Amino acid sequence: MRYRNKLGAAVLFLMLIHGLALFAGFFAPYNFAEQTRDRPFAPPTRLHFVDDQGRTHLVPFVYDAADMSDSSLHAPVTRSLRPIQFLVRGTPYKIAGVFSANVHLFGVQEPARIFLFGTDALGRDQFSRFLYGAQISLMAGSLAAGLSVALGGALGAVAGFYGGHIDECVTRMTELFLAAPWLYLLLGVRAALPLHVPEWQSFVLLVGVLGLIGWARPARLVRGIVLSVKERQFVLAARGFGASDAHLLCRHVLPETYGVILTQFSILVPQYVLAEVTLTFFGVGVGEPVPSWGSLLSVLQQYSVLVSYWWMFIPAIFLVPIFFAYFQISDALQEHFQSVPL
Amino acid sequence: MNDVCSSSVELVSVRGLSKRYIQRQALSRASITIQALTGINLSIQRGRTLALIGRSGAGKSTLARCLALIETPSEGEILFEGKSVLALGRDELFRVRRNVQIVFQDPTSSLNPRMTAAEIICEPLNIHRIGSTAERQEKSKKLLTQVGLPADCGCKKPFELSGGQRQRLAIARALALEPRLLILDEALSNLDLMNRESILHLLAELQSAFSLTYVHVLHDLGLASRLADEVVVMQDGRIIEHQPVDRLFNRPENSYTRELLAAMPSLESICSTRFARECR
Amino acid sequence: MRYFARRLVHALVLLGALSFVSFLLLEAAPGDYFDEMRLNPEISDQTIARLRASYGLDRPLLVRYERWLRSTMHGQMGYSVAYNEPVWPILRVRARNTLVLAGTATALAWLAAIPFGILSAVKHDSLGDRIGGFVVSAVLAVPELVICLAMLVLALRTGWFPVGGMESAKIAGSSFWSRLGDTGYHLVLPALGLALITFPVMLRHVRSAMIESLESPFLRVARAHGIPRMRLLFRYALPAAANPLISLFSFSIGTMLSSSLLVEVVLSWPGLGPLLVESTLSRDLYVVVGGVMLSSMFVIGGSLLADLALFASDPRIRVRG
Repeated sequence: MRYRNKLGAAVLFLMLIHGLALFAGFFAPYNFAEQTRDRPFAPPTRLHFVDDQGRTHLVPFVYDAADMSDSSLHAPVTRSLRPIQFLVRGTPYKIAGVFSANVHLFGVQEPARIFLFGTDALGRDQFSRFLYGAQISLMAGSLAAGLSVALGGALGAVAGFYGGHIDECVTRMTELFLAAPWLYLLLGVRAALPLHVPEWQSFVLLVGVLGLIGWARPARLVRGIVLSVKERQFVLAARGFGASDAHLLCRHVLPETYGVILTQFSILVPQYVLAEVTLTFFGVGVGEPVPSWGSLLSVLQQYSVLVSYWWMFIPAIFLVPIFFAYFQISDALQEHFQSVPL
Repeated sequence: MNDVCSSSVELVSVRGLSKRYIQRQALSRASITIQALTGINLSIQRGRTLALIGRSGAGKSTLARCLALIETPSEGEILFEGKSVLALGRDELFRVRRNVQIVFQDPTSSLNPRMTAAEIICEPLNIHRIGSTAERQEKSKKLLTQVGLPADCGCKKPFELSGGQRQRLAIARALALEPRLLILDEALSNLDLMNRESILHLLAELQSAFSLTYVHVLHDLGLASRLADEVVVMQDGRIIEHQPVDRLFNRPENSYTRELLAAMPSLESICSTRFARECR
Repeated sequence: MRYFARRLVHALVLLGALSFVSFLLLEAAPGDYFDEMRLNPEISDQTIARLRASYGLDRPLLVRYERWLRSTMHGQMGYSVAYNEPVWPILRVRARNTLVLAGTATALAWLAAIPFGILSAVKHDSLGDRIGGFVVSAVLAVPELVICLAMLVLALRTGWFPVGGMESAKIAGSSFWSRLGDTGYHLVLPALGLALITFPVMLRHVRSAMIESLESPFLRVARAHGIPRMRLLFRYALPAAANPLISLFSFSIGTMLSSSLLVEVVLSWPGLGPLLVESTLSRDLYVVVGGVMLSSMFVIGGSLLADLALFASDPRIRVRG
């Protein structure tokens, strides 16, 4: 029973995260490319409840530009108070690339800024970039995983069902794809493709590459299941009344593979999200200005950043519960489908 | 139940049937050829019950499957009502399949565990596009009653039914297309004695109700003596002897048949008839 | 033995096919090393054409493949345009470093996974096991990249470990032992990081293999015979779990190498990883092909070794195969 709750919690959490990502424009106070040139590497904005005069406010507020970490060096200046406003109108954005809106969940009045996670070298809000990056990275992972599983499942099913030369061919190809370590293979394939690809095409390219190299393991698993199921007597019986191959596949054979396909999908999604992050981190994934968690983290390769600007690490920490939830789900699915007798 | 008036109409004729299997060894390139059937000649009259007996590996199941058109022979001919089946095109073959159906030994594996009983019976009807959806539902309900299952079984899945009920369901499915020939590949072997008796009863009723022709694959000679009109003895893929049942059991011609008969536990047949008499 | 000869031939054929396919793929690659140069207005197109010709980049595919094969036979594996020398010597050094790192990390991970795996299997479902399981899941959930970055931060903040490189600048010319010690000192951080990345999965597999072995019928019979617990564990249960664990080892080589790539790049360990990333970015294609081939060779070789180990340890395979 506790198990079910754990799984339910994980699913709910992931749905929340995906919801945040989908409506990133709403939850993020700024656009991912919006720069505040005079505030490079600003630390996270401090939220106050008590102002200089000792009054407590219900709604937290931030101070104007003067609220910087080295403000102690300056003589105390009267600072203007900017309360956080909710449901503000700000920079326009698009939901799912289709619907336009310009209402943001929260924001502060100009010229104050609210940088919950601080800013990077170009003064871009890390919190907003984190949310927009979630869009890219999560979507890349899910799409690529879907592609791999669909391709691998189809090839595996055809190979297992028809046998003969098709099976030989597919099996040899899976061996080829499984021979190299996946990251090496990924880089190798990426090397074969144009290096500097503009914006959104680089996203499509990445999803395509990830999806196309990961088909081998799902294919093998599906093939194994199809091989064993096609000899079962209920399939023979259906052949006996003249069922066509298509009917046999759809009605009898493929339903046995759904468990494996779902499990493989749940395993591949986090793996591919990480792969996208890693590739972008190396500089061969999605290119600027499309934000991805990888580009958020790649700045950490610089010594100065690592030592002086601790807040750049925050996105990395937030990744942990997300992957934890993914792994809970894939663990649960693996256990569930293993225990069902074939 | 064994003396259905034998019309001399020949339903199925098998000539020179052979079946070879090629097994590839897993690790070496060599392959082994297994000769499952050699030179089978057989004639099955309409309305009769034929028993195929022999030891395991004699080729009984292979022959049964060839007759049911779910295995393709390597050589030879199968004629169904005078027409050669193997020479037929896809569509014709599709139509001929309606005339021959098979019931397997293990009802658990021959029924898709994810389908309900109604879906299982309707499947052949769906494939052959017989009748409208409503008509198919009607037919499946009728079949369920005919095989002795309660009508509300339709929404149950195989695992919710007992072994005997599952076999009844398999029989119902086989009857859905109104076949003329029903092949029962050791269909009674997995059942306990009580179930076996009631299914035998059912089969006899169905045979007279629908003028069915049966081919039973059996290894139990006692059972063969009870339900068959003719017995075919097989050994190593060949037919050793083919006789009407009385003649086989009283005056077997072949020494192998004699061995089989000698090994038969005669107590069982005595006990079953005694029990039937005492139950009256 | 014939079985292994056949497997060996199969492996070589696979490598050959892989080399051809990767060559083909990279042939389809638009552009090459000299594309960057073309952007420079001072270098004339003719110079670039001559440079390409001198590297043989203007020949048709099959000719290039044949030349590459021949150069591989001579131990060169093509030519690196970026380094201006044959590929193999570059690869060899880097491969050695990768093997040192991966080998050390594998040893560390297994050394930790086996005792903890056995312990958690024996104390199956106890409070300690469940807490341990949670901790392991938490570590597993930390993305590899984040672990590497965390290690980097640790090194920088504490200064306990050197960051990057395999040896200190002043060490050249010192005695063998001090050089070894220096390398070891540089190895600690990347090896720990890599071991931390791969440890959770191994622990889980050891645990499940041991649990399965402990619950198997033959072990229950042995227990009923009154055989003492320790002996049961180490002489009965563990060997039975060896089969799936050896298979696990051969499957994990690929993932280990991939993780190693990441660790090498982030923590600046001079292995195949940084070389491959660099060559991908500079489009030094022969190096990329060489890198993919070499890493595949490790995977295939490793699984052959695992098969050998299985053959030696599992009598069922000896009889069947």
